[in-house]
Amino acid sequence: MTTSVAEASTAVRPAGYGLIRRGRGSFLFHRRAAVVAAALVLLTAAMCVTYLCLGETNVPPGEVLDVLAGQPSWAALVVSDLRLPRMALGLLVGAAFGVGGALIQTVARNPLASPDIIGVSQGASALTIGALTFGITSFSVLPYVSVVGGLLAAVLVYLFAWRGGLHAARFVLIGIGIAIALRSIVHLFITKGDYLVAAQAQVWLTGSLNGRGWAEAAPLGWALLAVVPFVVWAARAQRNAGLDDDTATALGVPLQRTRFGLALLGVFLASVATGAAGPVDFVALLAPQIARRMTRTAQIPLLCSALLGAFIVVAADLLARLLFAPVELPVGVLTAAIGAPYLIWLIVRSRTGGRA
Amino acid sequence: MTESRLTARELTLAYEETTVVEDLDLEVPHGRITVIVGPNACGKSTLLRALGRLLKPRRGSVLLDGRELSRIPTRTIARSIGLLPQTPVAPEAITVADLVARGRQPHQRWWQQWSKEDERAVTDAMERTNVAQLAERGVDELSGGQRQRVWIAMALAQETDLLLLDEPTTYLDISHQVEVLDLVRQLNHERGRTFVAVLHDLNTAARYADHLVAMKAGRIVAQGPPSQIVTADLVREVFGLDSVVVPDPVTASPLVVPGSPWQANGSGGDHAEEAGPGKNAERAGLKKNAAPA
Repeated sequence: MTTSVAEASTAVRPAGYGLIRRGRGSFLFHRRAAVVAAALVLLTAAMCVTYLCLGETNVPPGEVLDVLAGQPSWAALVVSDLRLPRMALGLLVGAAFGVGGALIQTVARNPLASPDIIGVSQGASALTIGALTFGITSFSVLPYVSVVGGLLAAVLVYLFAWRGGLHAARFVLIGIGIAIALRSIVHLFITKGDYLVAAQAQVWLTGSLNGRGWAEAAPLGWALLAVVPFVVWAARAQRNAGLDDDTATALGVPLQRTRFGLALLGVFLASVATGAAGPVDFVALLAPQIARRMTRTAQIPLLCSALLGAFIVVAADLLARLLFAPVELPVGVLTAAIGAPYLIWLIVRSRTGGRA
Repeated sequence: MTESRLTARELTLAYEETTVVEDLDLEVPHGRITVIVGPNACGKSTLLRALGRLLKPRRGSVLLDGRELSRIPTRTIARSIGLLPQTPVAPEAITVADLVARGRQPHQRWWQQWSKEDERAVTDAMERTNVAQLAERGVDELSGGQRQRVWIAMALAQETDLLLLDEPTTYLDISHQVEVLDLVRQLNHERGRTFVAVLHDLNTAARYADHLVAMKAGRIVAQGPPSQIVTADLVREVFGLDSVVVPDPVTASPLVVPGSPWQANGSGGDHAEEAGPGKNAERAGLKKNAAPA
């Protein structure tokens, strides 16, 4: 065939990838994922400005930008003291849930295996509520308690699911079981606990950004910054997670070690986010799946999951503030309202044989 | 014979409590095509998995260039040994070119994600397996035969000296079977690559193998060039089947013809009763066309 030369030259690179070559270094990037990421950045930026504008007091966008630029303004209190810290927390929590969910779903090879379903969020909740009922109410300690709780729950799932290897389906089922057990422990703490603590716990449990700000956002921000190098590693390491175990091993992937690293990172991110804002349900489930459908990549795109998670939480919190103003809903109520139908759809789809 | 890079010594393999392969020694002849045959559950795939470090030996060891596989980092092994499992699973929605490119994994670093060498190897592998024109297609939309060629392309792109194939022709029709095995032979001759394949079909094995290994119940019953070891006695011993072995009219390699098929009473069934399956087979083999129409 006369076209064979042209065919050969188009076949040299994985289709859909762009290539950057510098000396001996070479980097691939998924073209569509790059476009989606850029679009999400713009979309999230627009959502952030809207978030800062709207509320009990509406502030015009120009005024918001003035405040952000450090100009003196009548809106400074509302924008930079009330809304900005809360928005920053929303962005960070969303990004952390997005990446955490992506990693755990990747390791378990199942979109249902997001941290809020397999017990990580419940572990973080159980230990936090436990701490609350035992009188530890300081918001500087609770985030650490959450992280420990999430990690403990993950270790528990891991130990139960381990049979000389980690089997994906068993991992999810055991995770769901442990999540149920932990949820009943949470209820036990609430019923046994003091009335005021119970009310506080209830708000925390639905996931809320209400009344939170830099105190929660700053430690979360530092924690996320610290794991960025690991996320960069994960973005490449998770590439071959979609292959079966034998093929991946044959290609030289140290499977158990890679999985352990990815899972640990995912659990850490999900628990640290839970610690900062409570279990904001379904973000970790939704963001990676939607991101992947947008980019059409063979693996879940981490950067886009982070951006989309951030977008979802900020958008949901804006709605949570506005819908029944002056009463504010916990953001978790809204994410659950979007997420629950999606979860049902996923389950229905998986029953008809589709994999996601 | 030629030296061997991959050897098994006193190898015992087991899943949980069930011992599948016991005390097995094997030297994979370098630069040759070795084919392992045997009845279902004889341990041939298990042996292949152990040769490719997918299964840890219960006792004994597999050596690559004299070093125990279990002591070599899996990534280092992946530069010498490629392996295609029986039913590999592709990431969902992956394109052909992307999957074939995964074969370069053991040669890449995070700052070297796509070298010129990768490019050459992938292009070459895709051309050889005739999948270049499918490059942009999704793997899940391909036919069984196309998909198998894509997987083989991935294994080839890895560019290892040793390539282990677990029943590479199982899901293919006869023309694609021939295509795949001819490709194996071509790569063996032109590039001097060593192949170890598990095959289901004894005749195909005898046709393509330089070195045939016949296994039964976790042990090697016979090994050597097919023309020397494939006899009616061996087939009876290994498969429990009475047959006639004749030279293949095309390649002169041994061709195993099983005894005559079951026949309904009245159309020659009395022959079977009086002669017994063995003699019946012999007769059928000698006078194949004599059966009643």
